Amino acid sequence: MGGQVFRTVVSVSVTILGLLALTFFIGRLLPLDPVLAILGDDASQEAYDRMVVKLGLDKPLWEQFVTYVWNSLQFDFGTSLTSGRPVAEDILRVFPATLELATVAMILGTGLGIPLGVVAAANRDTWIDQVVRVVSLIGYSAPIFWLGLLGLTVFYAALGWVGPPGRIDIVFQYDLEVRTGLYLVDSAMAGRWDIFADVFSRIVLPASILAYGAMAYISRMTRSFMLEQLSQEYIIAAQAKGASRQSVIWRHAFPNIAVQLVTVVALSYAFLLEGAVLTETVFAWPGFGRYLTTALLRADMNAVLGCTMIVGLIFITLNLLSDVFYRVFDPRTR
Amino acid sequence: MKTYRNLAGCVAVTAFAGVAPAFAETPPDTLVMARNIDAISTFDPAQIGEVVTNEIILNICDSLVAIDPEDESAVVPAIAKDWTVSEDGMKITFNLVDNAVFPSGNPVTAEDVAWSMQRVLKLGFGNAATLTEFGFVAENAEADFVAIDDTTFEMNLSRPYPTALILQAVASNRVANVLDSELLMGEEVDGDFGNGYLTTNSACVGPYALRQWNAGEAVVLEANENYHGTPPNVKRIIIRHVAEAQAQRLLLEQGDIDVARDLGAEDLRDLNENPDIEVASTPMHQLYYMGFNSADERFADDRVRLAFKYLMDYDGMADTVMAFLGMPRASVVPLGALGALDEAEGQPFSLDLEKAQSLLTEAGYGDGFSARLFIGTLPYASPIAQHVQENAAKVGIDLEIEQMANAQLFSAFRGREFDTIMLSWQTAVPHAHGMLSRHAVNPDNSEEAALTMFPTWRASWFSEDFNQRVDDALFERDEAKQIEMYKEIQRDHMQTGPFAYSFQLLDTAALSDSVKTWKWNAFRAYYPLIEKN
Repeated sequence: MGGQVFRTVVSVSVTILGLLALTFFIGRLLPLDPVLAILGDDASQEAYDRMVVKLGLDKPLWEQFVTYVWNSLQFDFGTSLTSGRPVAEDILRVFPATLELATVAMILGTGLGIPLGVVAAANRDTWIDQVVRVVSLIGYSAPIFWLGLLGLTVFYAALGWVGPPGRIDIVFQYDLEVRTGLYLVDSAMAGRWDIFADVFSRIVLPASILAYGAMAYISRMTRSFMLEQLSQEYIIAAQAKGASRQSVIWRHAFPNIAVQLVTVVALSYAFLLEGAVLTETVFAWPGFGRYLTTALLRADMNAVLGCTMIVGLIFITLNLLSDVFYRVFDPRTR
Repeated sequence: MKTYRNLAGCVAVTAFAGVAPAFAETPPDTLVMARNIDAISTFDPAQIGEVVTNEIILNICDSLVAIDPEDESAVVPAIAKDWTVSEDGMKITFNLVDNAVFPSGNPVTAEDVAWSMQRVLKLGFGNAATLTEFGFVAENAEADFVAIDDTTFEMNLSRPYPTALILQAVASNRVANVLDSELLMGEEVDGDFGNGYLTTNSACVGPYALRQWNAGEAVVLEANENYHGTPPNVKRIIIRHVAEAQAQRLLLEQGDIDVARDLGAEDLRDLNENPDIEVASTPMHQLYYMGFNSADERFADDRVRLAFKYLMDYDGMADTVMAFLGMPRASVVPLGALGALDEAEGQPFSLDLEKAQSLLTEAGYGDGFSARLFIGTLPYASPIAQHVQENAAKVGIDLEIEQMANAQLFSAFRGREFDTIMLSWQTAVPHAHGMLSRHAVNPDNSEEAALTMFPTWRASWFSEDFNQRVDDALFERDEAKQIEMYKEIQRDHMQTGPFAYSFQLLDTAALSDSVKTWKWNAFRAYYPLIEKN
């Protein structure tokens, strides 16, 4: 057990160091000029040169890298040009918005995707299976940007069923005491159900659209895993014993795909946490993905590098968690 | 089947049931505006270099003088209630109001004015160019900007520059926005003159005060109840960050916002047909243009650069891609500036492939050539570039378009690392000199001079003749003669200048019928004058 923990620690450390090196050198190779981003296009050459020194960009690359690694390990990613605040502080501010959106989307996507996949597999090649596959295919292939605008036009503008773009009404924004950064949770904790209704009315559409994509992926994978299990001999044995159809599916086959589903769900969640850039743009959602994209377009390299590190850490963490789940659910891996 | 019906019911309930919100009109004392506010990164007037924060800062931070809302070429008192100019034109003395107070409680004094202008030079951000343009330098800042007493401020010039031009530059360029020097010196870190503090705060006095700024979410301005001037009509201005034009349009049509600021040509055309919405435009002193690297012998030839001016269907583009966003303009001086050629004379070019071909043949490039064309991320950059690319191909020029982030585009231009490039340039004075001083003048074309703030230098284009003529015109005291000199420079510049101008850009807003008065010009939007129904 001790050896396993040690191997994991070494592996994670090497991965993080590799990630740091990759983000740093990609950052330096990108043809973006952070000095101009600060000073403006009209700055004189003298002012430009002064800023190069101030940012430490005149130092040897190895020295810049060492400083970067040291600071990053302390979660100090420097100051963002975009907001003027420390990048770590910015990430703490925008990440809960994405976390809330991704979590609601994941609950919807998983809650619908798994049953749909199971049902499709259990009714292979019937019209039910065909419908699930077509719905999944649309979720896979429809551009999320288009779905978002269509959703807004229909459900917000035409029907008035959901709230406008934005995370919260500006009137409420300064009334809400932010504790967790998750507005649904914060408003519920404060007993402000008017704010809760406003936040819910705004999150439901972007979360549903993200959930649709996640659902498509999860249902397809679930269907595929289930079909494999349903063709196994132990299923035939169970049927021969007289087990009911529901029992065969849910009590015999399903537990055997649960482990694989953990990985699928974890990866989907990681992708959503990485920031659904287009969804966040369409829905004016002040989240992580939009922050990263804006930083990139504005040559805000501190923010870009900080965000890239966080994305890497999310993947590493979720991979570790899925490994733990594997070990818990699958005795063969112990 | 029952299971599936339940499932479908769950989807519907989860997604929509019980979430229909109550939509209200915007409050009568609040103006809600949707805008892409990603560009906001500081509230330091010395550093702000983009239009969104510029508009905000001019409404929260009074300057020494201001642009007249009724006439953008005139300057009116602000913190300075009046001023006099010495006979030799080398000194301007300003008398300041004596009842302005910063939110900190500190009174606004001439010392604050002098300190605010000195720090612009000492910090050396892009805005300092507005002052260095008129001979002010950081080393002399204390001698040039002087507080005589609490309410008297003096500006000492190195040459007798036209007073009107200096006042226009000061009014619209964020170089004389008066900051609370006492507060900021207390917040100074490593000699930054409070620059760090101002990234997230403001420290000045104006009709509005910055109440809240959440990057990527919203800016909230509240009317300043202790303002010494005329109080604003609307109590609160909320600028909501909405990056997507379609989302802005939906919000406007639903009445959730009063003003949408970043709509595209298609949306504006549709909204213009909507009786409940008004599309308002004002010409900016900003030109969209194509630059050529004259260090390349092909583009050093005047005839080659001139040929490119015949490769665009200006009216066709103005009706489509640039509808509500720009109007054709080939002169280096925008319409509305002192000395500008009129609309017809300032745009003599049209799509004429034969003329372009003939010019290229004369220049020895009848068989054409290949070149790269760099463009940025403005929504109309790509369609305009493709349009020119198509027409260029018809005269044998193979243009390879490369689109890049704006920071990368500026970097390539400043580094002289391009063949041809498309971008825009804005001047902040309604005066011919504003554009000519950068687009016709190049004091020193050498690599070592590194005059990166001059687009002429970036394009490696130099003309002693233009340098001299622009300087002569600037110091001509007879205004009629001066205007004629500027017009002559523009005519020649259109034929032999380094750039091909295509559009004078418009600032366009879509207003809901809740907005009764919306006042703006090329240099600012006047929030205090906004009225709601």
